[in-house]
Amino acid sequence: MTLSALNADVIVDQLNAGEVTATDCVQHFLDRIQVHNAELNAFIRVSESALEQAEAIDQRRKAGESLGCLAGLPIAIKDGICVSGQPTTAGSKMLENFSPPYDATIVERLKSADAIIIGKTNMDEFAMGSSTENSFFGPTNNPWATNRVPGGSSGGSAACVAARLAPVAIGSDTGGSIRQPASFCGITGLKPSYGRVSRYGLIAFASSLDQIGPMTRTAKESALLMSVIAGFDPRDSTSSKEQVSDFLKSLETPLAGVRIGVCRDHLNEGLDVEVKTKINDAISVFKQLGANIEEIELPQTKSAIAAYYIIAPCEASSNLARYDGVRYTFRAQANDLEEMYRNTRGQGFGDEVKQRIMLGTYALSSGYYEAYYLKASKVRRMIKQDYDEAFKKVDLILGPTTPTPAFKLGQHTEDPLAMYLADIYTVSANLAGIPAISVPVEPSSTGLPIGLQLQGRAFEENTLLRAAHQFQNETLWHTASPSEPWRTQS
Amino acid sequence: MPETPEQPTVNQVAKLARIHLDEQQLTSSGEKLKQILEFVSQLEQVELPKDIEPFFGAIESVNAIREDNLQTSVPREKILDNAPESDGEFYLVPPVFRNTDS
Repeated sequence: MTLSALNADVIVDQLNAGEVTATDCVQHFLDRIQVHNAELNAFIRVSESALEQAEAIDQRRKAGESLGCLAGLPIAIKDGICVSGQPTTAGSKMLENFSPPYDATIVERLKSADAIIIGKTNMDEFAMGSSTENSFFGPTNNPWATNRVPGGSSGGSAACVAARLAPVAIGSDTGGSIRQPASFCGITGLKPSYGRVSRYGLIAFASSLDQIGPMTRTAKESALLMSVIAGFDPRDSTSSKEQVSDFLKSLETPLAGVRIGVCRDHLNEGLDVEVKTKINDAISVFKQLGANIEEIELPQTKSAIAAYYIIAPCEASSNLARYDGVRYTFRAQANDLEEMYRNTRGQGFGDEVKQRIMLGTYALSSGYYEAYYLKASKVRRMIKQDYDEAFKKVDLILGPTTPTPAFKLGQHTEDPLAMYLADIYTVSANLAGIPAISVPVEPSSTGLPIGLQLQGRAFEENTLLRAAHQFQNETLWHTASPSEPWRTQS
Repeated sequence: MPETPEQPTVNQVAKLARIHLDEQQLTSSGEKLKQILEFVSQLEQVELPKDIEPFFGAIESVNAIREDNLQTSVPREKILDNAPESDGEFYLVPPVFRNTDS
């Protein structure tokens, strides 16, 4: 079987058994990127040192040295995550030439596990978007239908895993940016609990919502990556000291007796009919697996998008104040300091980023704080309380990841609200700080992937991964790959 | 909720955000801002329970403190490598005040 058809855990086993070398493995995926990236634009940049690192791993293995648990496994990293000495752009002209002087903690951990960073993936500028169309480096195309978006903001990571240009990838999720593209591209994407994975070295969008997580074909691969990247980091003061579960160990525990909540409101209004059918079919699978399905209510989640589009832009307007032409490579011509700030930000940021900074600045400006940010933060509390109540009755909450399958490129670019509503089922988990995973269910009749979302209690990623893994033992939807050459779909 | 902003306010917001927008961008930005503010005004309808506290962070953890020990950091020259302009020791920026004499 060709390497790109294998799951990451199998590739690692083959590398360990000496059935394949790290060099061959990296070369295989580099070749695929070479052939397919022009059409998909999933990668902004391929690592120049990947092959060299692979050779070093092979030599160390030959010499009998002990190696990390991901030794030789290629991995793609979203370009909003710092890799020392490699350009890290966050999809922005503002950081086109920025080269971080340090590794993000998760990059450091992946390197310690001897994984090989194969490249940096495309994304909506500063992670602001749901389609990867807001990238300075051009949109990414969905390998299932190249005239459709891969979702966003981690669209490059989702597309490269779906197209098997890398076995696994890392993304980040502020309002759905791992789960929504995972859903659109037919892969598995986990947003961990807030604080579970260090944010050190993640270029900040909205600091109380941002979280890094794995984007893989299977839940088992996500568990494998989580076992490397999760855990306390003194350099991120919001990272948690909560004990890290053994994500791999609990995967096989049967689901008998697990209580899964379904919120009927989330399966009605505005939901694509086919998505609804496929999610209901998936509910039957969980019943067969022994889970108890119960109805729950999350009344305040209907306000989640509105609260999110106050809170996230407010935090962004503050976080992105640092891009002023002084420290981060890009500076526009100007006669004085004030003009330099304005010109640099006017020319360096794309339209959506400027729009969100404007919104955040407005909402935080004198006289408006209470009506917007404070009100939204109180609504956020109510959303969290809804989850607290629900999780007294159930262990997991099941629903669709997105209201529709992948939309067409350009379909929502002129209508920000339509774009924002693509995140209607995902933003609540970020607001409440809980973990959530998207897994593929049966695709639409036209062959577009559909994602199912499971949400869990804070720091219970192991339950999410276990349920997702058991579901993937019963179904084969996660094993489907888009056919080459890539097609379009009207 | 306050009134949605008209053109002068958009101008003011752009000024506060230190973002230069031309006339066309100001108009387009104003329209989008208005659209989004109308959408988020649905929060007005949410009846808050009495004394509800805002929730600002996803985790209400205790303050993170550590020993105040000296640690090695990233060398200055590596940081300044990303500066648009520096003298090797400091960032250089255009004049803070314009010379009004000439």
